[in-house]
Amino acid sequence: MILQTHRLTKIYGEFHALNAVSMTLQQGDIYGLIGRNGAGKTTFFKCVMGLAVPTGGTIEINGETANLNAARRQMGFMITPSFFPYLNAKENLEYLCRVKGINEKGKVKWLLKIVGLAGVKKPFKAFSLGMKQRLGIASALLTSPPIVVLDEPINGLDPQGIIDMREVIKTAHTETGATFLISSHLLAELDLVATRFGFIEQGVLLKEISHRELHEQTKKSLTIEVDYAPKAQAVLQSLGIEIASVNNNRLTLNAHLDKSNEVVRALIGGGVELYDLHRQETTLEDYFMRLIGGGEHV
Amino acid sequence: MFKLIRGELYRVLHKKSLYVYFGVLALGYVLLAIVRSGGFNDNSIVGDASNLFYLTPALVGGFLFSTIYTDDLNAKNLITLVGYGLSKSKIVIAKIILAAFFVTAFFGLLPLLHSAVYMGFGYTATAAQLAAIYALSVKYLLTTLAYIGISSIVVYGSQRPTFSIVSYILLSFSVIGNLLAMAAHTLNLNISDHLISVITNQIMADMLGGGASILPIMEYAAYIIVSSTLAIIAFNKKEMEF
Repeated sequence: MILQTHRLTKIYGEFHALNAVSMTLQQGDIYGLIGRNGAGKTTFFKCVMGLAVPTGGTIEINGETANLNAARRQMGFMITPSFFPYLNAKENLEYLCRVKGINEKGKVKWLLKIVGLAGVKKPFKAFSLGMKQRLGIASALLTSPPIVVLDEPINGLDPQGIIDMREVIKTAHTETGATFLISSHLLAELDLVATRFGFIEQGVLLKEISHRELHEQTKKSLTIEVDYAPKAQAVLQSLGIEIASVNNNRLTLNAHLDKSNEVVRALIGGGVELYDLHRQETTLEDYFMRLIGGGEHV
Repeated sequence: MFKLIRGELYRVLHKKSLYVYFGVLALGYVLLAIVRSGGFNDNSIVGDASNLFYLTPALVGGFLFSTIYTDDLNAKNLITLVGYGLSKSKIVIAKIILAAFFVTAFFGLLPLLHSAVYMGFGYTATAAQLAAIYALSVKYLLTTLAYIGISSIVVYGSQRPTFSIVSYILLSFSVIGNLLAMAAHTLNLNISDHLISVITNQIMADMLGGGASILPIMEYAAYIIVSSTLAIIAFNKKEMEF
């Protein structure tokens, strides 16, 4: 466990921006924090990075709970791409190198290569949003931090920018071995990079789930309703078809979805009366909406 | 803290408009001298310095203040610095040290530029005149630095560049000082002796007189220390603006 919060709470006046958020980030994770706009993602990051003072709860970074400022020096982050408009990409990173006391020769050049900004001479003010976000990631990686926090790195990017950013994050994760904590309201995009997810809504962390578990819960299935389930089970098992679940007389298959014709023929041939058969697919969005109990789409 | 100062030096010295701005100021200074050269005489060198240096807290201090402080706000760099684990008090102290460095560098060179321009017209400053010009330069150096220190409270308390710049401009054009003096007069209080302009005048007079009274120096130091302390308190109280 590299970062943990315990009942982290932040209240602005009457508004509970964070409500007892207990979250765990394991080493090597790409943790996707998913929530709608205003769900509490940025407030969570602000508290973790010391930019806002929590109203309650504790934060543990690399086993440190008391001297968090020292622990935060080991973290890289991008909450909003904050750079001097008159400096170019290299100069902005050189500035941060000096502030952080980094003397590694070639570090800036290497990072600019990773984020695809090598050789870009124009000042930051002339950057596109995608370039700004990429420079933000480079700055977050400057200290070779064990933890990198990125707030909405794909927000506002065009489709190509989103693809580029995804590749940058994947490359950075592979090349540096850092643990990433990324927030977004674009669930489908995070699904392509994250290894673990946390779902946040109205300041409450609703669920933490691994990528594998999430896909277990959202994968396609075939639901068959029959007159007598044990008979149908026997027929399907004789064909080597695995049954995921049986509920009353309703059987669910997660495999052999492309062989529904054969399944139907086998069941009818086996004397099973078939009442209903349909394919089901839960998208990630459906899953999220079910989790938060309906409402607007993410 | 020294790493931050190192980084800030790098940043400020890579700001191209710094060179453009001071280049234009230097050129304007020379052009003004050319226009006024008909009235030059052996004694005008100090009087001219007094008239021209009067504008430096606004013209030079304003630019330096904006570069050192409000650039941070515009670029949201305070978020980066605090997120990097730098303590807010160290940021405030590093900034005032940096401001002192640049203000000193400028006001150290200003008498040389002034003397060089006069020399170009055939008038060489005597040792006494040079000392007077330097004393004037020290006065405006201290004034500028104090205005920067006081305005830094607004920088960290509001975290808004416009408020910060406006507060500096009002200070440098003595608007706030005059308002305070008027208010004090209405309340039958005598604060005029404790205004920055009066304190720095006293320090300059002491320099020229060869003596050094400790009181104005202590009062000046109190201005810097109190304003920096208030800036730290304001920064710690104010949540980071995004």
